[in-house]
Amino acid sequence: MTAENVAPGTDSVASNDVAKPGARTPLVTMTSVNKHYGALHVLRDVNLTIGAGEVVVVIGPSGSGKSTLCRTINRLETIDTGTITLDGKPLPAEGKALANLRSEVGMVFQSFNLFAHKTILENVTLGPIKVRKLKREAAEKEAIALLERVGVATQKDKYPAQLSGGQQQRVAIARALAMKPKVILFDEPTSALDPEMVNEVLEVMTSLAKEGMTMVVVTHEMGFARKAADRVVFMADGQIVEEAEPNAFFTNPSSERARDFLSKILVH
Amino acid sequence: MKTSTFRSAPARRSAKVAAVLAVGVLALTACGGGSDSDSGGDDPAVNTEATFEAGTTMAKIQEAGVLKLGTKFDQPGFGEKGLSGDPKGFDVEIAKIIASGMGIGADKIEYTESPSAVRETLIIDGDVDLVAATYTINDERKERISFAGPYYVAGQQIMTRSDDTAITGPDSFKSDASLKVCSVAGSTPADNIGSYLANKNQLVTFDVYSKCADALKNNQVDAVTTDNVILLGLVGKSNGAFKVVGDTFTEEPYGIGITKGDVEFCNYIVDTLKKASEDGSYEKAWTSTAGAVEGAVVPELPTADACA
Amino acid sequence: MNVIIDNFDLFFQGFLKTLGIGLICMVGSLILGTIIAAFRVSPVAPLRAVGTLYVNLIRNCPLTVVLFLIAFGLPTIGINQSYYFFGCSALIIYTASFVCEALRSGINAIPAGQAEAARAIGLGFTQNLRHVILPQAFRTAIPPTGSVIIAMFKNSAVLGVFGVSGDLLGNAIILTGSRGFDPVPVYLGIGFFFLMITIPAGLVLGYLERKAVILR
Repeated sequence: MTAENVAPGTDSVASNDVAKPGARTPLVTMTSVNKHYGALHVLRDVNLTIGAGEVVVVIGPSGSGKSTLCRTINRLETIDTGTITLDGKPLPAEGKALANLRSEVGMVFQSFNLFAHKTILENVTLGPIKVRKLKREAAEKEAIALLERVGVATQKDKYPAQLSGGQQQRVAIARALAMKPKVILFDEPTSALDPEMVNEVLEVMTSLAKEGMTMVVVTHEMGFARKAADRVVFMADGQIVEEAEPNAFFTNPSSERARDFLSKILVH
Repeated sequence: MKTSTFRSAPARRSAKVAAVLAVGVLALTACGGGSDSDSGGDDPAVNTEATFEAGTTMAKIQEAGVLKLGTKFDQPGFGEKGLSGDPKGFDVEIAKIIASGMGIGADKIEYTESPSAVRETLIIDGDVDLVAATYTINDERKERISFAGPYYVAGQQIMTRSDDTAITGPDSFKSDASLKVCSVAGSTPADNIGSYLANKNQLVTFDVYSKCADALKNNQVDAVTTDNVILLGLVGKSNGAFKVVGDTFTEEPYGIGITKGDVEFCNYIVDTLKKASEDGSYEKAWTSTAGAVEGAVVPELPTADACA
Repeated sequence: MNVIIDNFDLFFQGFLKTLGIGLICMVGSLILGTIIAAFRVSPVAPLRAVGTLYVNLIRNCPLTVVLFLIAFGLPTIGINQSYYFFGCSALIIYTASFVCEALRSGINAIPAGQAEAARAIGLGFTQNLRHVILPQAFRTAIPPTGSVIIAMFKNSAVLGVFGVSGDLLGNAIILTGSRGFDPVPVYLGIGFFFLMITIPAGLVLGYLERKAVILR
């Protein structure tokens, strides 16, 4: 994928030098982002740049702020200080402009969040028809193509509750893709799935990554991180502790926190 | 011709004339509200000597020592109960006259509120001995109860805003269908006015006359219709905003409601009222209550219908 | 019981009038209630405040007070309309506050993720309400809203003594008042005709509830 493999064993935590997006155009930049939930400081001075076409996997212990970080990018969570820009433009405040921005940022949720009262096909066509103002026929054609790509086209007239979790999550990915987003955010997309369904979702995600989709993936799936990520971002206590190219990160994490975290999850 | 209709009785004509005259007097002098009458402290003398044939209603009441009276609690001048105390009004005074003839003092009357809808039921169920409650005698009611009387003939009239010249009487509604007239739902006046209307939407009904007066004041309706005595009470309270127009166009003979077929009780009531008319207590009952609103014109006791 | 057969006309006319009032007010209060509910969940703080104020004022007032203030208050400031208009307006305004709350309970029952997912694909607030939130909220809110509407049909009886004549209760008062019929059979008849409205309404509701059930 990228040519710039950084030599393992680099000690630096100042991660901007490591696994840099390099020649990529920055698509999402977060600068000095802070957020509190009451007394809890959930994002501490976060700086992160995501290049176009880059796949960034965010990992870290629960409560580290990784989901919050993901959700600030399309402003489902507001931030207290700092700036976030998409394509060079700062995120607008609530309103029409924000809705437009969100249509360019796809999101896949842990709990799928398919519209329970709409069929699979309607779930995928709602955004294109209402936001992208496509004609119904065109939207349905596109939607069916997307559903075929994620392997659930045969289910198109069913309701979400009639599908397995894995199928639902693949529909959710198709729904996000239908908006032709510049970047897709995945917020623990496999955490709510039965183990046997995890792979079908990861396979779809991997193929997306290969096609050059810009992705921010919050996950515990280390296999996916190794295989598909351009860069791994490790968070703890609201801070980005370490960023590295996956191979480097998994074989030789530079920070104590990351080493500790990896030892706990990779042992078994 | 025993049950001759009240319309043919000449005495009732004179009662009607008296009522019309009273209206005229009021309209001319724009009477500014009669003071509340105080009927207490001057009750009719109790006849402790009275004897009745055993088994009659009178004997039973005399023996019981109390008269159970059904009357209105919300009808100014006829039966109105304040926050405390017994109801006051012409109906109550008439009942006191009837009671006194059986040796029952005013303090031995038990009052039961008798809204229009339940008057017959109260009599039939025996909850009251008699009902004096602006109770218009009519044939439908006679199917279930009997009336003694009439003891007063009210007449329906029209009240308008003082500055109104369009309405001169009930016939004005037919010629101008945009005029609205207000009365109380389910009342005889509301029923009566129906035949004077171009369409039934001209009639607006509320549960109480005070709402009709409000509606008249703020131009939601153009007239209020009901019995003259009630209208005069409303005119009196209006500070000159309302006036009564035209003649009475119905006769509402008020009777005492009693158990159906109780001829002896009916005759007793008729006789007692006749005596009251002769000795001046009927007049006093009027002037101290409803008559205080209507002015100095005292109605004559109408000739009673035959008891049946 | 003859009173019902002999006066069937009066009962039937009253039935039609009451049914008409009920249908108009049902549509009106569902629309107004939905708008107020949208206010209450709006991201715009002043709208939320208006919605909250509306519900807290109107829902906590007796219907007759609302009715009185409209029927007698508006004319004093120069607004003159028929009592039919005033009566229906009052009933709609009053019932809408209950519809709003029933709907809001429906909205609150929808998992937060539904609204988030809608926002995430770029739907604006009104689009979100219209295509995602309300269709689901309506379904969840059918039983409580149905109770509110049935109560409204019964509450409409009060219009009969508020300047609207010819409805079921108004005609009952005519029969028992000036016509002097025994009230018990008359009100049995009135009860019967009200049941002819409310029981079918209940059946329709049950049907809608079964139709609209959402699997989760």
